[in-house]
Amino acid sequence: MIAGILFYATILALMGRNPVEVIYALARSFVSPGIVKDFLILSMLGYALYVSFKGALFNIGGEGQFYIAAIGVIAITLSLMPWSPGQSTAKTILVIVLAVFVATLLGGLWGLLAGVFRGYAGIDEVPVTLLLNYVAYYTVDYLVYSIFRGRHTYGYIRTDEIPEAYRLNYYLPPRTSSGEGLLGSLSSLAYQFLREFALYYAWVIGLAVVALVVYFVMYRTRLGLLIRIHGSNSDYLRAIGVDVCRVAVATLALSGSLVGFTASLYVLGYLGRLPYPVEESTANYGYIAILVAWLAVLEYKLIPLAAYIVAALRDAGINLQVAQLGGTEQTFISIGLLLTVFTVVKVFTEYRIEVRHSG
Amino acid sequence: MASIKGLQSSTESDQQPIGDNTSTPVVSLKRITKTFPGGIVALDNVSLEVYRGEIVALLGENGAGKSTLVKIVYGVYTPDKGRVYVDGKPVFFKNPRDAIRKGIVMVSQVPQLIERLTVAENFLLSLESVGLASPFTLTSRISKFIERESEKYGIPVNPEAKVWSLTYTQKQMAEILRAIVIGARVLILDEALTYLPVIERRKFTKFLLEFKSHGGTVILITHKIPEALESSDRIVVLRRGKIVATLGKEEADAETIRRHMFGEESKRLTEALPRSKPGKRKIIVVERLRVLDDYGREAVRGVSLSVFRGEVVGIAGIVGNGQSELVEAIAGLRRAVDGRIVIDDVDVTNKGAKAVRSMGVGIIPDHPLRLGVSADNTIVENIAALFSKQLVIDWTEMRRLAGHVIKKLNVKASSEDDPVKTLSGGNIMKIIIGRELLYAKKALVAYNPTRALDEVSAAAVRGAIKSRAINEGLAVLFASEDLDEVLELSDRVYVINTGQLYGPFDLDTTSRDEIEKYMVM
Repeated sequence: MIAGILFYATILALMGRNPVEVIYALARSFVSPGIVKDFLILSMLGYALYVSFKGALFNIGGEGQFYIAAIGVIAITLSLMPWSPGQSTAKTILVIVLAVFVATLLGGLWGLLAGVFRGYAGIDEVPVTLLLNYVAYYTVDYLVYSIFRGRHTYGYIRTDEIPEAYRLNYYLPPRTSSGEGLLGSLSSLAYQFLREFALYYAWVIGLAVVALVVYFVMYRTRLGLLIRIHGSNSDYLRAIGVDVCRVAVATLALSGSLVGFTASLYVLGYLGRLPYPVEESTANYGYIAILVAWLAVLEYKLIPLAAYIVAALRDAGINLQVAQLGGTEQTFISIGLLLTVFTVVKVFTEYRIEVRHSG
Repeated sequence: MASIKGLQSSTESDQQPIGDNTSTPVVSLKRITKTFPGGIVALDNVSLEVYRGEIVALLGENGAGKSTLVKIVYGVYTPDKGRVYVDGKPVFFKNPRDAIRKGIVMVSQVPQLIERLTVAENFLLSLESVGLASPFTLTSRISKFIERESEKYGIPVNPEAKVWSLTYTQKQMAEILRAIVIGARVLILDEALTYLPVIERRKFTKFLLEFKSHGGTVILITHKIPEALESSDRIVVLRRGKIVATLGKEEADAETIRRHMFGEESKRLTEALPRSKPGKRKIIVVERLRVLDDYGREAVRGVSLSVFRGEVVGIAGIVGNGQSELVEAIAGLRRAVDGRIVIDDVDVTNKGAKAVRSMGVGIIPDHPLRLGVSADNTIVENIAALFSKQLVIDWTEMRRLAGHVIKKLNVKASSEDDPVKTLSGGNIMKIIIGRELLYAKKALVAYNPTRALDEVSAAAVRGAIKSRAINEGLAVLFASEDLDEVLELSDRVYVINTGQLYGPFDLDTTSRDEIEKYMVM
């Protein structure tokens, strides 16, 4: 990673920017509480895509699965079971649980659809999942424009806000005084991190659930084993009498449902409503998570680390724009370089270079 | 050199005088050591010299280091220690192309030709890769060139034929001719002739002697002692990464070689397998089966056979005569276009591998690395994929099964968690055999069940198969390119030739020569 940053600095110098300033801004992002949100979401999505990539099924449809699931949350919380003053806590919890469940189901169905195309019609999952993203965008747009169009939106076309009772956030009060010196700054920073984690407490629980489910399924169950073997030699599965089509369907459905689960927490914990047109205002998490899964070289343990790095670099990109040190291209350059260096390093960890003289 | 003309000159005369006198070895290996990940020492301080105009056979049990040794000569592996010399000069091959440029060419057991292309197109690719032809060379010119060379060396090859339409023997002939035209001075044959019937092999032996008389050198790898004795001038025996014996033609005999190869264990090889007493119930029934190959040709033409409970039925035949397709169809891995397959009274025709497996049928397939294992996964994972039927895997039980397979077949692995890809070819085969013997309850359908195994391991596997048939009534149907194996293991023998089945032959009344005749007619 350090090699990647040094390489990046060289390129910056060649571009005529002050590499020290840019790298300082970059480094600050790695300790910024602002990255907690992206870190948690990207970790969950990274695990979701890890499942399908491990099975050599390239689920590029995270975006579609994410937003089709999100519309499920809107349907439950605003239309089917809207909040009414004085409703019981039990009902509130039921609505939240139901919203999460429906979103998980919808994400899973969206993945399953791609799986059916792949498994039974033999159509490659890459174009299918990609196209299904657009089907999802436009379906969500249509629904937001029509039946879920909000009444209290100041003329904007978007859904209403999800009632406060259903929102999954916990606000810690800002700290009024902090100590002096370095220790004070550190404790203040730690508190800011704590506030962010508290604000997205549901995502912390969600990440733990996703990580445990993925670990359990992939390494303890027969399905997980079949997915992993599917990733390296599906012919072997066929030869031992496994229905390979069903494995493909189950893999994409599982991956999609984990994306859907994450989407529900994102809507309930942050977004609060869906805009129109949705495709112009997404955070592209479904695509960025692909980067997370591959940056972790499909290693289960490395997913959170990869999510942390990508979250920090995204944050840095925004900071650099604000500080007028560069545009969005800085984010892509830095992420790209990091990936390049990482790939090269990965090759060297598997192979050894020996220099010999033939004379 | 980038022209056909250049190529002609390179093959017609050994433009580079190699090993002008027999005192300088063509290839010489000095103190070669090679260790693989996991600390497996494949070669330990091995030195070997090979001279111009000699045929040297390398023999040894599985994992003795034969393949590693020739792969070092051929530039596939680089040694950890030691050095390779060609014509007395040190060389460092980065890849096989470097070796080919020095006149060292390897032909292996599996033909390395692109099936969809013609022989001439395949030759063009090879000539191009060593700079003897350009991408613009016309294939018609190459064809004419092949015809000339083919006549000159007495190797009949049709340059216009698509490779997939050739028999195994023709493919191997094309491979050897290709090696010659790209300038082979040292020909490495890695089990390239092992699975040919004696009659076919003799044609190659004649050619090898011819090649030798022109100053060519052959390094022959085989685990068949008679094959080594037939043509070689010198026999080098490897054991556990070391050369344990170098025998001249006159001092080498099968018994001495076996003793060097296997030590004490060689005594077990002389034990003949007992005949089984088949039951009355038919377990495998195949009726008028017709199966197509990957190119839509009829590979299996109306085959009918049956295997009784406790009986071992062998199908002999040269590679590529439909046995692979027959076994795949019975295993549910290939569709039958006509006919019926019945396992223990249940019709499983075109019902897929799941239906066949659910009848308690073990399968040892052709293409073991593709259909027999998932090489990236561990031994225990490969076993669990077949045996675990519950939602949550009982890893303790699976580990026990994997341990059992490892122990029973003496697999050289450090633990059941070793990825399969870290094992040698023979050990991977042992994992497949052990797993399938454990799985098979009613029947075992196999293709080349002892492929890649040395004589002692192969004998152990045959013994295990036979004992399951005799003691537990397992019905066994196997096809093998190794006629010795078919004759030794079977109770009844069929021969398959161009998709048609001949037989059954009674081994008490039919001679080996007669069976071979059906194989090559």
